[in-house]
Amino acid sequence: MDLISEKAIEAYVKNFTLKQMLIIPVILLLLSLSILAYTTYRTGAPVELGMEFKGGTAVIFDSAKTPDQLKEEFLKYPGVEVRQYSVGDRKIMEFSPMDPSLKDELVNKVKSEFTNVEIRDMGEQFSKSLQSQAVRAIVISFVFMAAVIFIIYRTFVPSIAVVVSAFADIAFAAAMTDVFGILLSLGTVAALLMLIGYSVDTDILLTTRLLRRKGDLNTKTKDAMVTGLTMTTTALAALVAMFFVSSGLITSFTRIDIIRDISIVLIFGLIADMINTWMTNVGILRWYIEKTQKPVKRIEKPKKKGQRA
Amino acid sequence: MNDEEPFYHNWRVLLLVFVILGSIAAITISYSNGQFHIGNNLKYGLDLDGGSWLQVQLQGAIAQIDADPGKIVQTEFSKLLNDPNVKIDGVSTSSVSFVTSKSTTQKTIDAFGFGTSTVSSAPNGSTRVTLQTSKEFLIQKYLRDSLNADVKLIPGSQGRPPTYEIRKAVTEDSLNAILKPVDGKIIPPFRVGVTPETRDETKKRLEDKLNPISFKQITITPIGDNYLLIDLPGVSIEEARKLSLTPGKFEIRIQVAGNETAHVLYGDQIIGVGVPQKEKGDSWGVSFELNDDGAKALRDVAIQYGAVTNPGAHYLSMYLDDNLVFDAPLAPDLAKNIQSVPVRSMVATTGTGDVGQEKAKELQLHLRAGALPVQVQEAGSGEVPAPLGQKFKEQVAIAGLIALILVAIVVALRYKQPNIIVPMLSTSFSEVIIILGFAVLFGLQLDLATIAGIIAVIGTGVDHLIIITDEALAGGALPPDKVYKSRISKAFAIIFAAASTVLVAMLPLILFMDSSALRGFAEITIAGVLIGVFIARPAYAVIIQGLLVEATDKKYTDED
Repeated sequence: MDLISEKAIEAYVKNFTLKQMLIIPVILLLLSLSILAYTTYRTGAPVELGMEFKGGTAVIFDSAKTPDQLKEEFLKYPGVEVRQYSVGDRKIMEFSPMDPSLKDELVNKVKSEFTNVEIRDMGEQFSKSLQSQAVRAIVISFVFMAAVIFIIYRTFVPSIAVVVSAFADIAFAAAMTDVFGILLSLGTVAALLMLIGYSVDTDILLTTRLLRRKGDLNTKTKDAMVTGLTMTTTALAALVAMFFVSSGLITSFTRIDIIRDISIVLIFGLIADMINTWMTNVGILRWYIEKTQKPVKRIEKPKKKGQRA
Repeated sequence: MNDEEPFYHNWRVLLLVFVILGSIAAITISYSNGQFHIGNNLKYGLDLDGGSWLQVQLQGAIAQIDADPGKIVQTEFSKLLNDPNVKIDGVSTSSVSFVTSKSTTQKTIDAFGFGTSTVSSAPNGSTRVTLQTSKEFLIQKYLRDSLNADVKLIPGSQGRPPTYEIRKAVTEDSLNAILKPVDGKIIPPFRVGVTPETRDETKKRLEDKLNPISFKQITITPIGDNYLLIDLPGVSIEEARKLSLTPGKFEIRIQVAGNETAHVLYGDQIIGVGVPQKEKGDSWGVSFELNDDGAKALRDVAIQYGAVTNPGAHYLSMYLDDNLVFDAPLAPDLAKNIQSVPVRSMVATTGTGDVGQEKAKELQLHLRAGALPVQVQEAGSGEVPAPLGQKFKEQVAIAGLIALILVAIVVALRYKQPNIIVPMLSTSFSEVIIILGFAVLFGLQLDLATIAGIIAVIGTGVDHLIIITDEALAGGALPPDKVYKSRISKAFAIIFAAASTVLVAMLPLILFMDSSALRGFAEITIAGVLIGVFIARPAYAVIIQGLLVEATDKKYTDED
């Protein structure tokens, strides 16, 4: 069994035009941006904020009671919301910020009634400051990444192609968290930053191979694609394993939020990365190379032969 | 080929082997009591070991402040001398002179603590006073007195307005309002927070307080300048809050005039507290003992403000977190004593009957409360029960194992040659060991976030090994040494570029975010990327060449 069919890749590289290559990524990017815009309109932020960025108290515990029963029971505490946390008896209750004395009472009540209680509590002010810090971190991280790309390639079109692809990856990953109801947590922020640095790996591979290697453009693209797809598949394999073990979807495995959040965001990001590297970036870069290097080609050819000998 | 050194003699490979062995030693061998022990040196975070964490914010502000020294002296002495007609008649860099219509003495002026003074009489029964003082000191004194809080002068550059650390939660607006009567203002930026020195001092005092009462080692980690993360293994969240947050800043202040008070000492100068007892008559009281510095400080201010001669006008007040918990005048015999020598032990009396006894009990608790230089406020907290932490630990191990197997399958399907698959997976695995060794050596603890970081690094690591392999094997066969070297350098051009984007993307987490989980994630990722790029991957490039050359050689012999 072959992991990657070289023939299929070869056919794709040979037969697809720039327009055909761009159509899917453009639709995906527009879709992602509209989802983010809609969420901004609905909630005030492009992604829905979780407890870590809003402040409040969350308790996670084992109880055979249904979420509705629990909600009834804890109605006196502010903003109570109860959800199934993972398969089985595990439940999560979330509350808005409250007085320390009321919080102590709540913690005591939960601990005396339920087992295996995990507690998380975030002060309102602190979460608000984390919120602005997270926005700043993501923006600056993206700017740093873009700066590194421009420093490496020093030409506009190839660099902007990489940056646009990375932007589309992040937009898609963020939009998917909205679609699947994953709230912004420390884990998803970590994953988005990781994605900023990581999703450009295959773009760098592609750009370096196409710009700095000699040879036929289609062959170079095909070779880069074989390597790049192997890379992304390996990463996806590891991430899928991490996601399933931490998702809480499998009995006998309890949910681990931070691992689940990081793996799911990276999975979405890498899926988008495959599309954006091998369609958006390949499309733009090939168009650029064909446009700029055609007149030069003839002068370069004998040079190449000379070097090979 | 054959006259070259075998690949396992290459220095890159030897370095990798050396670092792996060192990491294994760091992880497994510990040294204590003159003996080596074999065991697990990895430090786990609370989410894996069980316990509670508290992130606290240190309350304070740092700002550059300018104000008019003359106005400060005028405002303050109008109040202190009860004379609305204090007139400033000279301000220099080292002195301020004013004229008051009241007659006063040098002793009185000096007692206010604005600096040494010279006093001379002026026409019409008024007095001319010259204070040897500086603008820096006057602003500090003014802030201290009007905020009733400790204010520290941070030495700065010459000729620029001085910077102050205000050890109390204040807003920019409230501070400006306080400065307005003395023509003062904050020179932006105004920063909420404290200096690293104050942060470290607070951390040390908290450690001194918490560690004796806990069974397990409590660790306190600074996060930025404004936060401390307190890890309390094996402690419930209620207990953690009680231990870390309730004992507040205890301070004794002395009444200067009217509502104005001056600092005498902090709770850390109280070295002994007795149990509530019945004193003379039916009054309850708590005895307490000061250290030498505390006793001296009390004596100095009592004399300075005249509490020894007129105790009734200069109450001593005790504050816990700026809330008044007790106040009383010096007892007449104590006042007399203190005039001649510093007194170390004294009794605070709280009244008679059950009420007096209750009050005495409360005061005893307050006196015992350790003192921190600044107040702390809870920013976030959490608790993971130990069995759940154990389950997390097992589960991450399983996740890592399954991830490794899946990666092995993908790599095997792609390359089909054990000569590539085995070195690739071993290099990857060796990166894990080196990162763990690094974590032990640098005291990083493993929690869920850092483990997620390690898995992410390994993911990028395998990717880079794939780039090296594909570049080396371009065209199907292993090229001669020279071409191989140039191809590897091309592969590393890609790898360095890819690694630097990950590094710069992680940097903002360390620079801007006050979250310990994200910092840990970023630190381990950055360390892992550097280890991979500079140690593991160069060695892999050498190993893979060596093994493939051997394979080609063998094939060649077989064909022969």
